[in-house]
Amino acid sequence: MLACLCTVLWHLPAVPALNRTGDPGPGPSIQKTYDLTRYLEHQLRSLAGTYLNYLGPPFNEPDFNPPRLGAETLPRATVNLEVWRSLNDKLRLTQNYEAYSHLLCYLRGLNRQAATAELRRSLAHFCTSLQGLLGSIAGVMAALGYPLPQPLPGTEPTWSPDPAHSDFLQKMDDFWLLKELQTWLWRSAKDFNRLKKKMQPPAAAVTLHLEAHGF
Amino acid sequence: MAVFAVFQTTFLLALLSWRTYQSEALSEPLPLTPESLKVSINSTQQCLHLQWSVHSLAYHQELKMVFQIEISRFNTSNVIWVENYSTTVKWKQVLHWSWESELPLECATHFVRIRSMVDDARIPEPRSWSSWSSWEEVDEQNSLGHGTLFVFPKDKLVEEGSNVTICSISRSYQNNVSCLLEGVQMRGEQLDPNVSAFHLNNVPFIRETGTNIFCTTGRGDGTGTVLFVSKVLEEPRDFSCETPDFKTLHCTWDPGRDTGLPKRQPSQSYTLFESFSGKKILCEHKNWCNWHIAQDSQEMYNFTLTTENYLRKRGVNILFNLTHRVRPMTPFNVVFKNISDTNATMTWQVHSIGNYSTLFCQIELHGEGKVIQQHNVSIKVNGNYLLSELEPDTQYMAQVRCGDANHFWKWSEWIGKNFSTLEAAPSEAPDVWRNVKSEPGYQTVTLFWKPLSKSHANEKILFYNVVIENLDEPSKLQLHSIPAPANGTKLTLDQCSYQIHVTANNSVGTSPASVIVVSGDTGNKEVEEERVNVTEDGFSMSWKPQPGDVTGYVVEWCDHPRDLPCDLQWEKLGPNTTSTVISSDAFTPGVRYNFRIYGISTKRIAYLLEQKTGYSQELAPSDNPQVVMSNLTSHSFTLSWKDYSTESQPGFIRGYHVYLKSKEGQCHPGFEKAILPDDSVSCKYKIYNPEQKTFVVENLQPESFYEFFVTPYTSVGEGPLDAFTKVTTPDEHSHLLIRIILPTVFCVLLIMIICYLNSQWMKEKCYPDIPDPYKSSVLSLIKSKENPRLTIMSVKDCIPDAIEVINKPEGSKIQFLGSRNSLTDTEITQPAYLYLLPTEKNSSGPGPCICFENFTYNQAASNSGCCGHVPVPLEAPSQLGLLTSPENLLKVLENMNSLGEIPAGETTLNYVSQLVLPLSRDKDSLPTDPPVPALCSEYKMQMAIPLGLASPPPNEKSSVSSVTLLDQGEPHH
Repeated sequence: MLACLCTVLWHLPAVPALNRTGDPGPGPSIQKTYDLTRYLEHQLRSLAGTYLNYLGPPFNEPDFNPPRLGAETLPRATVNLEVWRSLNDKLRLTQNYEAYSHLLCYLRGLNRQAATAELRRSLAHFCTSLQGLLGSIAGVMAALGYPLPQPLPGTEPTWSPDPAHSDFLQKMDDFWLLKELQTWLWRSAKDFNRLKKKMQPPAAAVTLHLEAHGF
Repeated sequence: MAVFAVFQTTFLLALLSWRTYQSEALSEPLPLTPESLKVSINSTQQCLHLQWSVHSLAYHQELKMVFQIEISRFNTSNVIWVENYSTTVKWKQVLHWSWESELPLECATHFVRIRSMVDDARIPEPRSWSSWSSWEEVDEQNSLGHGTLFVFPKDKLVEEGSNVTICSISRSYQNNVSCLLEGVQMRGEQLDPNVSAFHLNNVPFIRETGTNIFCTTGRGDGTGTVLFVSKVLEEPRDFSCETPDFKTLHCTWDPGRDTGLPKRQPSQSYTLFESFSGKKILCEHKNWCNWHIAQDSQEMYNFTLTTENYLRKRGVNILFNLTHRVRPMTPFNVVFKNISDTNATMTWQVHSIGNYSTLFCQIELHGEGKVIQQHNVSIKVNGNYLLSELEPDTQYMAQVRCGDANHFWKWSEWIGKNFSTLEAAPSEAPDVWRNVKSEPGYQTVTLFWKPLSKSHANEKILFYNVVIENLDEPSKLQLHSIPAPANGTKLTLDQCSYQIHVTANNSVGTSPASVIVVSGDTGNKEVEEERVNVTEDGFSMSWKPQPGDVTGYVVEWCDHPRDLPCDLQWEKLGPNTTSTVISSDAFTPGVRYNFRIYGISTKRIAYLLEQKTGYSQELAPSDNPQVVMSNLTSHSFTLSWKDYSTESQPGFIRGYHVYLKSKEGQCHPGFEKAILPDDSVSCKYKIYNPEQKTFVVENLQPESFYEFFVTPYTSVGEGPLDAFTKVTTPDEHSHLLIRIILPTVFCVLLIMIICYLNSQWMKEKCYPDIPDPYKSSVLSLIKSKENPRLTIMSVKDCIPDAIEVINKPEGSKIQFLGSRNSLTDTEITQPAYLYLLPTEKNSSGPGPCICFENFTYNQAASNSGCCGHVPVPLEAPSQLGLLTSPENLLKVLENMNSLGEIPAGETTLNYVSQLVLPLSRDKDSLPTDPPVPALCSEYKMQMAIPLGLASPPPNEKSSVSSVTLLDQGEPHH
């Protein structure tokens, strides 16, 4: 956990919006956001395994694919490939930011309901990391001059159990939350990789940049 | 009109009165029918809740009635439950009845109807049922909302081991719903085209988050339910209450397992109820609760501890007198006072449990982790106890606990504290022993002492004082101070008697002295050594009691007798003791231990009484003696092993086994057959005397091969099997032969020596030298007297009687002085043999010849019957090649050339000694062809050869006996 916190803290100063000492452009911050995404992917794999075992079968079975009964409010990561390709940078980043904002709220709700202390610790740790990712995306957007999407007042998403919800449906919602989060992290890695390539300066500029560092 | 009015009023009153009477008298059955039947569902509890009323009842009337309730499922004709419910019905009372359905109520439409019957004793029989109410339908399926698949019950909570029915409702066209319990498919029962039921029996507890049941039609839909299985609530165990101070009661119990389920059921709660006071408290902790004791001096308490969860409620009860449940609080303020080297006073305080109460306290004294002392004492508030018989300079731990002396219930907790006693001088004299070695003019006394035990040392021993007092001259005292941890010292004293005092000293003081006396005359008589018995406990020995005054006995031995120093040990015994068992961890099997028993006289002089020896465990001998064989004759030999030491063996040597092997395999008298460890058979002779170290093996056969081997044996066994020594007996007559041969040889040698000494004489007698005519004295005589030109007769001067001269053919001539090539060419076809006398060409047979024979010169040649020259027929060149090769001949010729040509006139005939040729012949050379026997004349001619050919080539492999080169140009005379 300490290692993860250190990683997050290490990444935060790299966000260009916070780092005023130089202007290396959005490239490094996109790279770091990409790295953080991959790290979170890895972290979630372990967390999801623990949590789904806590829920019990069939939720921890690899081919379990229940309907999204109560999880319709979750931001969907799946999108048509052509639509995804046609997304501009601003929209791409905005969708990521909004998705993780919602998912983070849901995940905090999930943490509150967890019965075991160990699970609560793991979830809290992941929430902290996800908060870091959200900040990192915000940094990239700021570096590119995009405004952050403002949530409408009173529309804060919550993940409190619906009294009418049966416990089984609640478990299905938890399952979908973790699955959607996994899909979003996978998609974000693609998004930031695409952005990274797009923002990569031409070769000559790279050379000049390296020379400047040499001095 | 007025009369009519009055009549009418009277009639009505009468009617009412009758009606009233009739009602009160209950003289006839009333049509009391349940009305206003309402049916509702409690999904969580799977209950049908009915309520109805009986309107026909009179005002304030109470009537005992029976209600029969029928419940049908799916349709009214499918009655699944009929129950009679008896109750007393009041006027305007709304009646309630519940029924718990096994099948979740959402999964089926239920129909309920009810009828009633008066069941009151006041109503005369016959009684009859009322008519049924109309069916009330309960259908929850309409309120399920959207969706195609539903599973019930939702989030049901059951106890472990319960039976549960799960049902699924499918609204799809084809109802092929499959349900999985924890991933395992369940077998269902089709209740309706759209409804399936799954019966689960004896459900287990799997996890706190519930058991998952997931149902799907296989078309992308799916839903499920969670069955929360709670562990069965257990009755609290070991429930008891006690008070430390009559102010609070502390009640404890063992709660058993937790039945809480995080999302469905909290952990079970515990409630404490006291029946005499009627008070009840909810316990905050799951295993203990404190009850405040009121001031009303209630003595008896009847507590009921109740635990409950959503499914079950259980309770336990205890009844007790408060004064019998007193457990004092832990004592406090433990202090040790007046600590000396052997005593200490322990004081402590207790919390009061009442004005007149007495406490019973227990004190334990611990030393080195063990309980050394235990004491009990009764106290009121302050306790104290004198701990005595303590060891100086020792750390102790003392602890105390208390209980109610009047009605003992339980001890309080222990409270303890460490303390150390003060130091003191060593309390005992060191155990001292000595070893005295008398030398001419002085004695060496080695003192040994054992370190004092901790209980006797009382503190760390710093040094030992040795005071030597000369008994013959009491004024002479010597003091030796030996620093600890030494355990002995060596003194050199003269032959006087000395009294030696040894004391141990620590920082506080000196121990009592240990006194021994050594006398110049040890007076130790030689005592016979005895063997000592060995038991499981050690060496058991006893000795004869001494008639005189003996103050004690000392048994002395070495723990490591093979080492130097041997680690002297001793044991001091009282004067009345005449036996002891010596044991030591150092005793090793196979080691011989010697014990000496001393008596200590009143003058403290030790004198040797007995010597004993023994083994803690005897072993078989580890090595065999070096056996020397002697006196070997044709019938016996003697074996001896006198160097073999029986003392250093790992057991008492009881004798020897002599093994003898012979080719005959028969054992001699006294021997017996024995099978050796290597399974070979041998003859064995047993020697039962360990001191007999020689053995004569007799009755042997001459010129026979024997093997012998000698090994000692102890009570455990014999020595290791070594190699047998081999011996062969000599011939019976060999000694006779020796007696003859030796003198004979001696005689021959003597004769030879004599002969050698007289060889000159023998030579002169047997084979005198041939006189040299040139050196003849006669010659000088002639020279001087007659003709100075006169010389020895030469051959040419001789006039033989008959000489046959055969001219050598021209073709056989050898050109000595020609080219070498021409010579070689001729050699190939014509051997370069020169004949002393010309022989007839191609003559193979012996021809007449003349020899000047000189027997002195060539014995071998003379033995061959020829003079050395071999007339070889020319037809046998191969034989010639063997005799002499052309190369050899060539060398001869070269030698000749080196000398230059020999003048023909000077070398008409050369005389060559025969001696040179055979002596220089190579020993390894092929033997010459057998000489062809030649008929020689009586006088054989000596060979003539030029001087240059006197020595033939050293590598000449074959040679003729003599070679004479004749100049072919010269006439043969």
